[in-house]
Amino acid sequence: MKKKKIFGLSVRIPLLLALIVTFSVVSGTTALSAEDTINIGFLAALSGPDAGWGLPGLTGNQIFIDRVNAEGGLLVGGKRYKLKMHAFDDEATGSKALQGARQLVLEHDVKFISAIGGTPADATHPFLTKKKVFYATLISTDIMPDRPYLIGGGDVTPRIDMLRPWYHKFNNPKLKRWAVTSQDETIGRTCQAWEVGSAIAEGWDVVYDKHFSLETTDFAPVVTAILATKPDVVSLNLTWPDFVTLIIEQLYLQGYKGIISANYIDTESVMQKVPIEYMELTKSANSFPLFDDPWWGEQSWQHEFIKEWNAKFGPGAPQDVKRKITGIDWDHVIMLMVWAHGAQLAGSFDPDEILKALRAAPMIPTILGPAVMYGKEMWGIDNMVSPPVPIAEVKADCKCKRIQAHIKFEEWFESRKDTIIKVVKEKGQYFDQRK
Amino acid sequence: MELATFIQTIANSVVAGSIYATVAVGLALAFGVMQMANHAHGEFFMLGAYVVYVFYALGGMPFPFAVLLAIPTIAVIGLLTERLIFRPTRGNVLAGFMATAGLTWILQVAAGRIWGLAFMKKIPTPYMGAATIAGAQIGLQRVIIIPAACILLGLLWFFLYRVKLGKGLRACAQDPEAAALQGISINKMTALAMGIAGAYAGVAGALMAPIHAVTPYMGRDLLITAFIVVIVGGMASIEGAVLAAFLLGFIHTFITTIFDATSGVMVGVAFMAFILIVKPTGLMGRVKA
Repeated sequence: MKKKKIFGLSVRIPLLLALIVTFSVVSGTTALSAEDTINIGFLAALSGPDAGWGLPGLTGNQIFIDRVNAEGGLLVGGKRYKLKMHAFDDEATGSKALQGARQLVLEHDVKFISAIGGTPADATHPFLTKKKVFYATLISTDIMPDRPYLIGGGDVTPRIDMLRPWYHKFNNPKLKRWAVTSQDETIGRTCQAWEVGSAIAEGWDVVYDKHFSLETTDFAPVVTAILATKPDVVSLNLTWPDFVTLIIEQLYLQGYKGIISANYIDTESVMQKVPIEYMELTKSANSFPLFDDPWWGEQSWQHEFIKEWNAKFGPGAPQDVKRKITGIDWDHVIMLMVWAHGAQLAGSFDPDEILKALRAAPMIPTILGPAVMYGKEMWGIDNMVSPPVPIAEVKADCKCKRIQAHIKFEEWFESRKDTIIKVVKEKGQYFDQRK
Repeated sequence: MELATFIQTIANSVVAGSIYATVAVGLALAFGVMQMANHAHGEFFMLGAYVVYVFYALGGMPFPFAVLLAIPTIAVIGLLTERLIFRPTRGNVLAGFMATAGLTWILQVAAGRIWGLAFMKKIPTPYMGAATIAGAQIGLQRVIIIPAACILLGLLWFFLYRVKLGKGLRACAQDPEAAALQGISINKMTALAMGIAGAYAGVAGALMAPIHAVTPYMGRDLLITAFIVVIVGGMASIEGAVLAAFLLGFIHTFITTIFDATSGVMVGVAFMAFILIVKPTGLMGRVKA
C-alpha cells in the first residue's frame, strides 16, 4: 500500500489533468465546421500468427476517431479535421508492409500509421521517411536515427523489462538469482539485452540468459534447464503471450515457487492452466494493466474506455468482436493520441513541426500518464514517447491483475545507464550495432 | 547435470517422444499406402484440438468424450482429402503435396474465420497438477499422453498385422499393383489410410489441446517435426516413425536442457540430414525392388 502511494499518486493527478486538457483541446470549444478529412493508416498483421498484436488495435483507434469526429473533428490550427482510418493487413511480412505503406500513402494520403513494427518497420522506413509519414511502432527497438518519423514508446517495451529487475529488488532485497528467457528473434534478443543490463545494474546475478526457438512446442525441457540454475526470479522478458502461458504452466508443474515476472501475462489464459493462488504466490508481475483496475479512479479515461469498448465491441454490441477486451485494444491508440496532440501543439500536420512541438513540450499527456520525448542514449534519437510504466501483480481475490507501481523511467535510467548500455553493447544489441 | 535434472530430462524426453510418435504415425501410414505426402497433416492435428475447444472448453462436454469425438470428425476430413485431392492426383507426388499445401491455408483461414484469431484459445487443463515419478515432476495431462500413445500405436500395430483389412493396407504399401491383382481395391485402401491418418492426427491434437497453444497455425511447427520423424524413420515405416520419434524426443530434449532450445531444433534437423546421408532410406525404410 505504501509503495502504491509512492509511485501512484505522484502521477495519477497529473495524468487526470493531462487527459482532461487533451480532450478539451481535441474537442475544442469553438464550433467550427468540418471541411477536410485527415486519413490515418493502420498497417499491421490482421491475419496470421501475429494478428493478436494488430487486429485488436483497430478497436481502440476507432473509439478515439469516433470521439474526435463526434466533437466535430480534430482542432488543428483553428480548423477542424475529421479523421478516417484505413487498414491494411501486412501479415507481419516486409514485402506486404511495403505494399501496404505505398497504398496507404499514395492512394489515401495518410499522415500517420499505427503499426506493430519489427520486420515491417525495417521494410517500410525508407519509403515512409522519403514521404515524411509518421510510423508508430509498438516496439521502441525499431527507433533509429535514420528513421526520423518512426516513433514509439506508447507500448512500454522494453522499459518495463528494464524496470522489473529494480521492482523485484526493491521488494525483495535479499534475492539474488535472475533467470531470463524469450523467443529467439530480433526483438526478443534486443529487449532481453536491455533487461540483462538492467538486472546487472540492480545487482542481480544473471544465472540464465538464453533464448528458445520460435518453433518450440514443448517447454518442459526449457523450464527444466532454467530451474537447474536455481533462480529466485524467472523472467520471461518479451516472450509472446501464448508461450508465457505454456512456460508458467511448466514452472507450476515442475514445482517452482519463486517469483515470475514478464513483459505481459494474459491472466485469463494462464488461469486455465494453473491455480490462481499459484499466480499470486509467484507474483506474476507484468505490465499492460487492466483498464477496470480501481487504481485508475472511478472517474477515469480508462474506465470510460472500457464502457465504450463494451458498448461498441463487447457481447451483443453492434460490432461484437466475440472476445473480451485485451491490452492490445488500447495499445495502439496511445501513439495516435500523441500524434493528434502533437498536431494540435504544432497547429499543423507537418511532421517536422509535430516532432518539434512534441520534443519541446514539457509534458505530453498519454493514457498511461504524462510523458516526455526521450531515448537518444538508447536509440540515437529522441523519438521514444516515455510515459510512466505501470507494473501489476496477479491477485487471487479478483482473479485479475492489479497495479502495484507506476514508475517514471527517465530518472531511474539516468543513474544506471552506463552499466546498462555497456552490457547491451557487449551483447551486440545497441542501436548502432544492429544495422 | 544434477541427478534431479537428469531424471526430469528423461521424463520430458519420454513425453516428447510419445507426442511426436502419435502425430507422425498417421503421416507415415498415408505415405506408405499412397506414396503421397500430406502437407495438411498439421492442420488435421489443429482441427482435432479445435474439436476439444468446441465441445470441451465451450460446450462443457467431459474431456475424454471430446477427445473421442475428434476421431471420427477428423477421420471424415481425411477421407474427403483422399477423395477430392489425393485420388485425382494419384501418381503425382508433387501435385498432391502442393494441393494439400493449399488445403493447409484453407483450413487455417477457415479456423481463423470461425473461431477467431488473436491469442491462443482458452482451454482449461482437465487434469491439473503433477505426478512425481522417480523424482521427476510431470503434469498429469502429459502423463496420460504416454499410455494413450501406447494404446494408439498398439491398436494400429494390431490392425496392420492381425486384421485382414490392415494386411491389405500393408500389401498396398509394399506393392500396389500386386495388391490390385490380388483383388484389393486401391481406392478403398487409400481412403482407409487417409481416414486412419486423419483420426490419428485428430486424436493427437485433441489430447494435446490443453498443453498446446491452440491457434489456427498450431499445426505448422508440428508438421515440420512430423516430417523429420517420418523421414528419419523411413518414409513408409510405422515402426521407423515410432523409433525416430523417441530418438528425436531424447535428442531434442537433452540438447535443449544442456544448451538451449534453438540448438535443440538445429540438432534435430542436423540429425535428419545425417541419417539421410548415412542411410538414405531412413532408419527402417527399405529400398523397393
